[in-house]
Amino acid sequence: MNTRFAVSMILVGAMAFSMTGCKGLFGKKKSSEGLTDVSGMTGQGGLDVQNGGTRIGEGVGQVVNAQLSAVQFAFDSALVDDTERAKTEAAASYLKANAGTFVTLEGHCDERGSAEYNMSLGERRAQAVRTYLMNLGIDSTRIQTKSFGFEKPKDPGHDEKAWSINRRVEFVVMK
Amino acid sequence: MKTILCYSLVALTLASTAPAQEVRVIKASGSKTSLDLSAYGAAGANGFVFRQTLTSDLEHCGWFSMIRPATFTVTGSCHDNAGTLTVDCQVLNVLKSSAVLSKTYTDSSANARQLAHKVADDIIMAIKGFRGICSGRIVMIGNGTGNKELYTCDADGGNLRQLTHDKSISLAPRWSPDGSKIVYTSFLKGFADIYMIEAASGKRSVVSRSPGINMAGAISPGGGEMLMVLSKDGNPEVYSKSFGSGQLTRLTRTPRAGEASPTWSPDGSQIAYVSDMAGAGSPNLYIMDRSGTSRRLTSRGKENIDPDWGANNLIAFSSRRGGLYSIFVINPATMEERQVSPSDASYEDPSWASDGRHLVCTKREGHGTRIYLLDTMGDAPVCLTPYSGSWSAPSWCAK
Repeated sequence: MNTRFAVSMILVGAMAFSMTGCKGLFGKKKSSEGLTDVSGMTGQGGLDVQNGGTRIGEGVGQVVNAQLSAVQFAFDSALVDDTERAKTEAAASYLKANAGTFVTLEGHCDERGSAEYNMSLGERRAQAVRTYLMNLGIDSTRIQTKSFGFEKPKDPGHDEKAWSINRRVEFVVMK
Repeated sequence: MKTILCYSLVALTLASTAPAQEVRVIKASGSKTSLDLSAYGAAGANGFVFRQTLTSDLEHCGWFSMIRPATFTVTGSCHDNAGTLTVDCQVLNVLKSSAVLSKTYTDSSANARQLAHKVADDIIMAIKGFRGICSGRIVMIGNGTGNKELYTCDADGGNLRQLTHDKSISLAPRWSPDGSKIVYTSFLKGFADIYMIEAASGKRSVVSRSPGINMAGAISPGGGEMLMVLSKDGNPEVYSKSFGSGQLTRLTRTPRAGEASPTWSPDGSQIAYVSDMAGAGSPNLYIMDRSGTSRRLTSRGKENIDPDWGANNLIAFSSRRGGLYSIFVINPATMEERQVSPSDASYEDPSWASDGRHLVCTKREGHGTRIYLLDTMGDAPVCLTPYSGSWSAPSWCAK
């Protein structure tokens, strides 16, 4: 228990460091953007309120090759299939074994449909994996989501095979 | 006897089907006003550019047929002299022997195309009594550089200019209603953030960079608010931000669905948007009023996406039906809808032109798309981007 608290403190410290680092790169810190949220739900989603809305590792993180496989999705679905759970569990194990790392979940879609709807769908895929990682005990402050919609296909093809490869969430681990 | 009756019925059915289509075609061309430009003179290189642009504009605006003898004649000439273009234009109603337009214009020769668009709109106003679309501008995305950058062009696809050099992915550009700004999403800093560009100065500012996605910025008709799709609270939801107070208001609450592509009604009292709350894989259009009450607008088709609510109070959108995406127009008051794009290819992502008759949209050609001007009254679609690369996400400038 005490250990976990200590780790949290180290993480909070790391976050504070990243936020400071961010100022140098992007000038005035724009984490809050002067936006007032009247939804009362700040921080439930893509990234938690502990970070003050600043993105994890922005400008300071280094990508680590954690050799984690992408989670694949069915057409137009944002549900993590049973067959894909092992990949998320492997990612959770990696994050547990490597304190000080954090992960960006990159959601991707196939090329069909609108660019805008696919941005939302890719984000939902990333958040489905995020929720699963949190259920496996990964602290929400170590996870952020990102969607590329259909903008970054892994397979450049235009058939069912390419589409199924392109519907995915990738784990981009940083430290 | 039975057989004969049966044949007659078939013949009757065919007869009633075929003329119905003919009637539609006749009606469409019958609504065109005959116009004769053949006597219009031009001198100098930019004089010819002017006349060619003027002729093309009047042919493609949809309101005229270029036949002789015509009800209206355009006479005059255009001279390109030492960098100055002098345009003389008279429009005569032949039947009444009366001039409906008589005007002289001067401009820099380099502005020959722009001046032709302006004169074309003046001719449309003089004959038809409403504003044409020839002076309109379009913002869109092109990938010719290997990145997705914003470009602007004239209503006929000419005067192509690269607006951004972000070397990144740009998404969802939209003009502000007054035509002074363009709002778009870019991965410029690695994440999907919303930026605003002042059209005159090119000055750019960041509008929203909350955690998760920041998408689909759409400024209200009055200019005081902006719709956005944000995922900072979890799922992608529609929000409205007041420019004055900075206050952000969350408009949708769908924990198990994603929203996209919000668009304002012309009076700013309602919004239409995409949601898959009816089931993943079935995005549909919904309408919400200021009280937060929402209703489903579309029910046919596998996907209904990319709505654009025109000043004519009709919502254009793309719908996937029978393997193709097609452009449909729906009247939100009566729920009547009709297809307005041909069935030769997929047409997507419509944006209303300012005349409420035309739309700009994409047409799939091979593995890319090009921008087309689509006529809801039946004229053939016109390609606006015969340039290399793939072109998408057109937005028509209302001003």
